[in-house]
Amino acid sequence: MDNSINYIGETLWPGQLGHFFILLSFISIAFSSLSYFLASKRIDSELSNSWKKLGRIGFITHSLSVLSIIGILFYVMSQLMYEYAYVFEHCSDDLPMRYIFSAFWEGQEGSFLLWMFWHCILGLIVLKTSKSWESPVMAFLALVEIVLASMLLGIYIEVGDMVYKMGSNPTLLLRDVFNAPIFQNADYLASIKGDGLNPLLQNYWMTIHPPTLFLGFASCTIPFAYAAAGFYTRQYTEWINPVLKWALFSCGILGIGILMGGAWAYEALTFGGYWAWDPVENMSLVPWLIFVAGLHTNLIAKSTGRAVKSTFTYYTLGFVLILYSTYLTRSGVLGDTSVHSFTDMGLEWQLIFLVLFFAIVSIYLLFSRKNEIPKQLTEESIYSREFWMFIGALVFLFSGLIIATSTSLPVFNEIVRIFKPEFDGSVINDPIPHYNKFQIWIAVLLSLISGTAIYLRYRANSMNKSQKYSFLIRSMIYLSIAAIITFIFGLYIDYWHWKYILLSVCCFYSIIANSVYLITKLKGQLKLAGSVFGHFGFGLMIFGTIVSGLNERIISSNPFVMQGIVKDEDLGKVIKLIKNERIFSEGYWISYIGDTIDNKTRYFNISFEIEDAEKNVVESFEVRPNVLFSNDLTKVAASNPDTKHYLDKDIFVSVQSLPVTQMDVELAKNAEDSLKYVKTTLSIGDTIFTKDKYAILEYISFNPKHKDFNAQESDIALAAGIRFHSLDKTYNQIIEPTLSLNQSLLYQFPAQLNDLGIKIKLNDETFNNFFSIEDELQYEEFEIKQGQSFNIDGIQLRLTGFDKKIVNKNYIAEENDITIQAVLTSTYNDSIIILNPIYLIRNNTPSSIKAHNAELGIHARLSHIDPVAEEFTFQIARDNRKNPEVILDIAENVPRTDFIGIEAIEFPGINLFWLGAVLMLLGFFISWGFRMQSKYA
Amino acid sequence: MNKTYLISFICIVVAIVVIINGSSDVSTYSTFADATKTAEEVKVTGELNLDEDIVYQPDIDPNVFSFHMIDKNGESKKVIMKQSKPQDFERSESIVVTGEIMDDVFVADEILMKCPSKYKDDEIRIRAES
Repeated sequence: MDNSINYIGETLWPGQLGHFFILLSFISIAFSSLSYFLASKRIDSELSNSWKKLGRIGFITHSLSVLSIIGILFYVMSQLMYEYAYVFEHCSDDLPMRYIFSAFWEGQEGSFLLWMFWHCILGLIVLKTSKSWESPVMAFLALVEIVLASMLLGIYIEVGDMVYKMGSNPTLLLRDVFNAPIFQNADYLASIKGDGLNPLLQNYWMTIHPPTLFLGFASCTIPFAYAAAGFYTRQYTEWINPVLKWALFSCGILGIGILMGGAWAYEALTFGGYWAWDPVENMSLVPWLIFVAGLHTNLIAKSTGRAVKSTFTYYTLGFVLILYSTYLTRSGVLGDTSVHSFTDMGLEWQLIFLVLFFAIVSIYLLFSRKNEIPKQLTEESIYSREFWMFIGALVFLFSGLIIATSTSLPVFNEIVRIFKPEFDGSVINDPIPHYNKFQIWIAVLLSLISGTAIYLRYRANSMNKSQKYSFLIRSMIYLSIAAIITFIFGLYIDYWHWKYILLSVCCFYSIIANSVYLITKLKGQLKLAGSVFGHFGFGLMIFGTIVSGLNERIISSNPFVMQGIVKDEDLGKVIKLIKNERIFSEGYWISYIGDTIDNKTRYFNISFEIEDAEKNVVESFEVRPNVLFSNDLTKVAASNPDTKHYLDKDIFVSVQSLPVTQMDVELAKNAEDSLKYVKTTLSIGDTIFTKDKYAILEYISFNPKHKDFNAQESDIALAAGIRFHSLDKTYNQIIEPTLSLNQSLLYQFPAQLNDLGIKIKLNDETFNNFFSIEDELQYEEFEIKQGQSFNIDGIQLRLTGFDKKIVNKNYIAEENDITIQAVLTSTYNDSIIILNPIYLIRNNTPSSIKAHNAELGIHARLSHIDPVAEEFTFQIARDNRKNPEVILDIAENVPRTDFIGIEAIEFPGINLFWLGAVLMLLGFFISWGFRMQSKYA
Repeated sequence: MNKTYLISFICIVVAIVVIINGSSDVSTYSTFADATKTAEEVKVTGELNLDEDIVYQPDIDPNVFSFHMIDKNGESKKVIMKQSKPQDFERSESIVVTGEIMDDVFVADEILMKCPSKYKDDEIRIRAES
């Protein structure tokens, strides 16, 4: 950009300070990592201690720098300093302060900062509590943090002809990021406003979901760091114990983060479900699955000393998969397969490096140390708990790898394209059944194993005959009970396929086995019951997905319209509701009652009623889904559903379509242009005919009651009252198309009869038939005293007095004005009419301010005052109403504007899913809390 | 037999089964010409034909809208979509529709669109003028 321009109004110090802290954060964390590595090489020496101190100083400096960057970014955002690109892209004048956090992490840089922030917090906890593990663990944590810090650097590296971008600095100026002609203007800031936060993200989920998910991501770095540190320092078994509580915490928090994403999708988005196998969802689930696998082998390693390499592999793989998911969502490679990936920032190579670097580090550590790890001479017995836990972990691994492979299809496409540029790429035809068909078997295996393995003991080598017998009997009893429960549920829900019956039996098997275990073996000791909760919750959650997924029922189906055109399963999901017309669909009487607008949101009130045979309403509720308009209010940007929750089912309602005239300003204009108006001139009492109705111009009103008309904003207004009748007089509706003059501009307020498809506008020319412009007025003069009257065209006006309180709207007060406001009254049609002309002396110059009454068409001025004779001169004129005809523009066959299209879905048993998921995650935290009590740790 | 080997063997077998089974769900993008030849559902990529009308009349049927799409061979065909019209449809850069040909019309039950990215260099200028 042109540096010779002195820009006006820019605040540059936050950018400079931010840039400084970005550099400092990078340098200090690199220094910290290096120091910690050197410290972990020299165990227990004095030198090691001093390196450790330097590592701490580096890490604390880094943490303070990250906090400063965050603080600066918040500052420029809260002050709406649009000279900064990040503020311009994510904030706007009308963005409520409560969304500033959402705007902060809407962008890539902000979300990286959030991730780094959690690393800092967790790092400081490790630094404080991990004792002898501090140096090696912090060394690896800091290594991860170096790469994240480099994501903010925003520097360009030239390698030969290629220029690589390294990081993206969030404190850059707008004019350094964009090249636009507007920056030729020194005062460009005065004419720009921010893009603002995407309306889809303007809800509280966006405030709580990202911090939780990123805490989950960040916390997964710690088990990775422990695993890497254990292998790096050759302490192969010592890290197994301290890492466990971190892994429990990671699984719990990451699980909450993912579940919140599902809840967001379900509550606030119109996907019509909590899980859509979207790539971004998948890639946050996969690391969690791998970490849960690692958690199980970690327990094996803790109890038996086996599975150390597996544990290492799972924790490092899980961590690398988090980095991989970062690459997928942030590099733009997912392209059009995902609804919510970030915009491409040109950091692709840096993200690939991030993934490969840590993958190589992990593989190197594993293979270089492979032969040093203490070996177990015997194999696990199939009667031991650890054997089946190991198998369970393998099942988790399979689950994760299958999902990750399918999700990576766009990456494979990219790789093929390197060799074959014309390759179009391949896609999964129907993702949801594709994922489901594999994961159903995963769920079957996991339920069976989790219900069985808890009854086995660690290190058990064999079972005697009676043990085998009782084990088998117990399993058979549980399976039978599970089958009976499944059968009972089968009376109420449809399983569709034997696979789901099998899955249901397995779920109940796990639920029963774990419940019995809690009561008989643990004697109800809840603090030991983490695993029981986890497995019980898992079973319940999977059963919840069967019930809600297989038996979701579209209430808003409209089977008649599309019949014959499409296959039965594709029949419309959207039903049209006309305002105040009840419609019966799938057992519900649905009606659209009305709508309200609150700022940028339009809420629709929709009522659902169930009637019994005698037409009594036995159940009813109302939902309020809404649509959100874009920040510039020109079109609908998002639709937010509303859900009626019952204990045994949810009814999910979203607005899917609106009349085009309400969707988009541009479309509304096109729709209006396509109407064919016919001009008709009428006098009061005249009749017009439409197809099967007739209408009479009943009256002309100067006080319109049109719903969009605002009397406060109007100077003069005119409305025509038109009454529509059917030939047999059963139809009787009155409408008032309206014209309003405001600051010499005419505004039209058309009236529409949706049931007749008629729209009427009051033509602008009508205005001239009722009001005359000043030049055409012929004033007559009257000289009177207070209390006296005069006549004009048979209307008597009386000077009743003077009013000090100025009510004349034409008068705008200035200092040192002298005003005399007269009160002229008249009676007309039994009402009293008051006119308030003003005599004004401003700067020693007298003038008069007119008063006008629209109803009588009288213009009145107080033009002269004779103080001696106490006589007042009024100038009175009348609007020319010789030809009081109303000119209407009438269009027929106008599309309705009083309907909405809604989608309503009934999800039975969805609370089983939520309850199961919450119990499962609670399991992690119970175990975590238990391990945090130091005597067990 | 050694259990480790047994487990590894089972894992490999399962992996092969999954890969073979899963790959049948994957297909490449087709053209309208391909779609005419097959009775199965296909995915066609292309772009919106702006010379033809986009018809969406929610007051008549909110579940149907139709438009014309040009596939990568340049063939334009009418597409009937069995859902409500997505927001910003007119601004889409590329479209992927899933469905089949019926009576020379492509009847689609799923649509994916790629919209221009939110931030473009000329964005600031436009904003400043308005």
